[in-house]
Amino acid sequence: MISLKLVRRNLLKHKMRSALTIASLVVGIFLLCVLRSLVVAIESGVQGAKRDRLVVQSAVSLFVSLPLNYQAKMEEVPGVAKIVKWQWFGAYWQEPKNFFANFATDPDALFDVFPEIEIVEGSVEEWRKDRRGCIVGDKIAEEYHWKVGQTIPLISAIFPPPQGDTWEFTVSAIYRPKSTAIDRRTMFFQWEYFEKGVEPLYGESPGTGTYFLRLAPGADQNEVMRRIEAMYENGPQRVTCSTEAAFQMQFVTMMGNIPTLMMSIGTGVLIAIALACVNTMLMAFRDQAHDVGIMKALGFTDGGVAGYMLSQSLFLCLLGGLLGVALAKGSQPLLMMGPMGAMFPGYDVTNRTMVIAASLSAAIGLVAGFVPALAARRMRSVDALRSVE
Amino acid sequence: MNDAMIRARGVKKTYTRAGETLTVLDGLDLEMEEGHFYALMGPSGSGKTTLLNLVGGLDAADEGELLVAGESLADLSGGELAAWRAANVGFVFQAFNLIPVLSAVENVELPLLLSPLNRAQRREHAMYALKLVGLEDRAKHRPQQLSGGQEQRVAIARAIATDPKLILADEPTGDLDRKSAEQVLDLLVRLNGELKKTILMVTHDPHAAERAQRVVHLDKGQLGRVETRAAAAT
Amino acid sequence: MLVPLAYNVRSIFVRRSATILTLLGIGATVTVLTGFLALRAGFRAVYTQGGRSDVVYFLRPGATSEGQSSFPRERADRLVKSTPEIAQDAKGAPLAAMEIYNAVRRQKARGAGETNVPIRGVQPASFALREGFRVVAGREFKFGSDEVMVGTKLIDRIQGCGLDEVIQLNTTPFRVVGVFESAGAAPSEIWGDYERIGVALAVPWANSILARLKPGVDLKEFASRIKNDKENPCKVMTEPEYLEAQTNALGTMLAMVGVILGVVMGVAAIFTAMNTMLAALAARTHEIGILLSVGFRPLAIFVSFLFEALLLGLLGGAIGCLLALPLNGIETGTTNWDTFTEIAFSFRLTPDVLVTAVIFSLALGLFGGAIPAFRAARLAPTEALRRR
Repeated sequence: MISLKLVRRNLLKHKMRSALTIASLVVGIFLLCVLRSLVVAIESGVQGAKRDRLVVQSAVSLFVSLPLNYQAKMEEVPGVAKIVKWQWFGAYWQEPKNFFANFATDPDALFDVFPEIEIVEGSVEEWRKDRRGCIVGDKIAEEYHWKVGQTIPLISAIFPPPQGDTWEFTVSAIYRPKSTAIDRRTMFFQWEYFEKGVEPLYGESPGTGTYFLRLAPGADQNEVMRRIEAMYENGPQRVTCSTEAAFQMQFVTMMGNIPTLMMSIGTGVLIAIALACVNTMLMAFRDQAHDVGIMKALGFTDGGVAGYMLSQSLFLCLLGGLLGVALAKGSQPLLMMGPMGAMFPGYDVTNRTMVIAASLSAAIGLVAGFVPALAARRMRSVDALRSVE
Repeated sequence: MNDAMIRARGVKKTYTRAGETLTVLDGLDLEMEEGHFYALMGPSGSGKTTLLNLVGGLDAADEGELLVAGESLADLSGGELAAWRAANVGFVFQAFNLIPVLSAVENVELPLLLSPLNRAQRREHAMYALKLVGLEDRAKHRPQQLSGGQEQRVAIARAIATDPKLILADEPTGDLDRKSAEQVLDLLVRLNGELKKTILMVTHDPHAAERAQRVVHLDKGQLGRVETRAAAAT
Repeated sequence: MLVPLAYNVRSIFVRRSATILTLLGIGATVTVLTGFLALRAGFRAVYTQGGRSDVVYFLRPGATSEGQSSFPRERADRLVKSTPEIAQDAKGAPLAAMEIYNAVRRQKARGAGETNVPIRGVQPASFALREGFRVVAGREFKFGSDEVMVGTKLIDRIQGCGLDEVIQLNTTPFRVVGVFESAGAAPSEIWGDYERIGVALAVPWANSILARLKPGVDLKEFASRIKNDKENPCKVMTEPEYLEAQTNALGTMLAMVGVILGVVMGVAAIFTAMNTMLAALAARTHEIGILLSVGFRPLAIFVSFLFEALLLGLLGGAIGCLLALPLNGIETGTTNWDTFTEIAFSFRLTPDVLVTAVIFSLALGLFGGAIPAFRAARLAPTEALRRR
């Protein structure tokens, strides 16, 4: 019905105009993909949360620790299979911008509660043997070129080292998580090393910020949560026990309205691109009015010429959109290096994102082509042939 | 007084269009005297408009010598040519002569912007030119508000605004009805008779050519016959 | 020598739909950029106003904010006693205060989720050390009692922080007895007695020490001396320095996002402008021919079209700024990425922000118009005058 060749010829006739329009789409759709992927990253922690894990923290504050003796008591609660403690260490490598998550923890309990941590290089035995040992995610190992056996000096913003300026660690193993609950840019080290290191300054055993609990199969999640919170109703530190998903959500809402913000930004971008496309199609129609008149005089139907205008718009926009999507996917490894990777470890241009983006570009094509298509449909040959442009 | 206003010797001009080379002017020799009204005629493709463009410095010859108003155009640089044109030549085209967003007097003022006159002087000169062509009461009108003939007369006012020696007109009556065409031709004759302007008018219309003093025929890029009218028609 | 400006100004409005679309495209881009810059300006304004250069923060070496710093009690006492540069109040006591900086989990108003509201355990000298501190409702809390005051910004934005409400810190209830106003970030905080807060949260240590220095103290030397002290090394920052440092992470992020967005949307806007100018050029080749025939030079044509594009940019920018104006003063808040606690601030369209927006919009016009203007100037008169 509508000759694709005609459509292509017309677009090629105005190379600059077509190129500029396609380019706006590429840039805009690329950004939309990146934005959505950022939102996906922010929410990925929540998505990957396991249903049989609970998190215990201070009910009052994120910045207050729980006593270590809580662990033994909580282990006695029916339904609790295993507990591991994590203490946020707040360290960076060489410069403050080389910042990543690091935790002091128990090597034995860690893998029981988080079986999705898979060692890809080195071994857990090595880690157990070396008090200064640590395991690091494959992404940071890659970025900072760390090898198993290497010594890495880290500077903690919160805990001064027992001597000198840095805490010395040895890379015992490199891990790769099998789910998004654990990201690929974290480092775990031995609790004992941490405890001994802060003793001189604190003079007493430090507490821990977070306990992760793994439930036994068939345990009643709500019952366990209720009991644990009740246990410490009268202190010394009240606790809040939540599901892992709720725990991750906490960090999302802390970022404020960032997901909403991203989406409203996305709308702004869409508007800018849509305007560019509408502009182009109006121009295209202006110089094709004459051609449309001829087509109608030759016998093309109203619907046919409308479709002709719409096809041009769709073609332009889909082409630009697909290129933009390809660019977004292709640039993923590049963007993940550096600060973006640090802030959004779960960043991934998913298939869903790509489909949504492509659909949006098609939608823009339809919107932009709507007015010219309508005008073409309504046009009378006589008027068109008279118009000289 | 009868110096050659225009002297062409062996002028050649070729164009390349869509891969083909066309020789439009092929060794043209021509002389035109000051103070005369010339009509330039010839079949389509004979090079009339090309010659006009060369004389006005809008284009450059490939070969040959071209002296206009005492200047060898080939020796002038682009900038010098533009300045020379502003001072010595007034153009009138067949259509689309005026800038639509400017009023009549603003259109006439355009060439004056390139002269050292100040604002008040420019306005004075422009209004005077409009008066000469009988349209001073249309000074503030936009081209859309004028008839075809009126537009053309405003274009002529613009062409004479800087008091140039030479007026070059390319089919000035081509788009006009009979009456307007007569008015325009009357004006050109007056400009030549009263103000002693040298006029070179390209035309298809023998009726228009009748009003000129000399008719130059071009054929296949070379000079054909030259007719002289006994007296300029009034 | 130059083509009259009226030509360009009037020509813009001839092709109305294209011009409007271009102006909207530029306008939308400028609005977004201005919005982010205004957000950043508002955020930074909270911190960078009202810092006194004679007030200093003592922190643990290596800490960049109070939350990361910690001082055992005796060390803090010793520091205050052994630093003669610290000024004294009317009664001869040092104008210095140990403070606890922590956070309490609170629900945001309107069900927007949980956040960490900063809570500060203060000493009597803390009030004198804060610029513009005054109680606007209720009264000051009594030292030694389980009472707190809340900053004005918390009232509307956080649940359970109103006058007479009770904030539970572990097993100890604290009653809100007053609301205070102050310069800087304090109005987003809850204040209580250092001793009582410390006990309730089981936090035995101070996070920072604030002090006012005597006039005439050489800050550089002072900071260096304290930093290199053998027994008790500390990081010293003046209040303005400290506050500025708390705006790094989020401030940079907001600027970056604003710029990236501005660039991406700007590219689309530039392309729209370019298309519009190219179409205008195509429709006006005869006009260019006339100008050339009259004697205007190609450079004049170039400048003329470039001016037209710049004008489009400027108009679009004006529209963009107008659209962004209603944002001015709108309150919002988020987690400060340096302190990890909630901070309230509002959009602020400062002159700086507007100037940046205008320059940006001119740049958009410039980039959009450069190629079309160049093409216009390259037209040969004979081409331009050719009948179609």
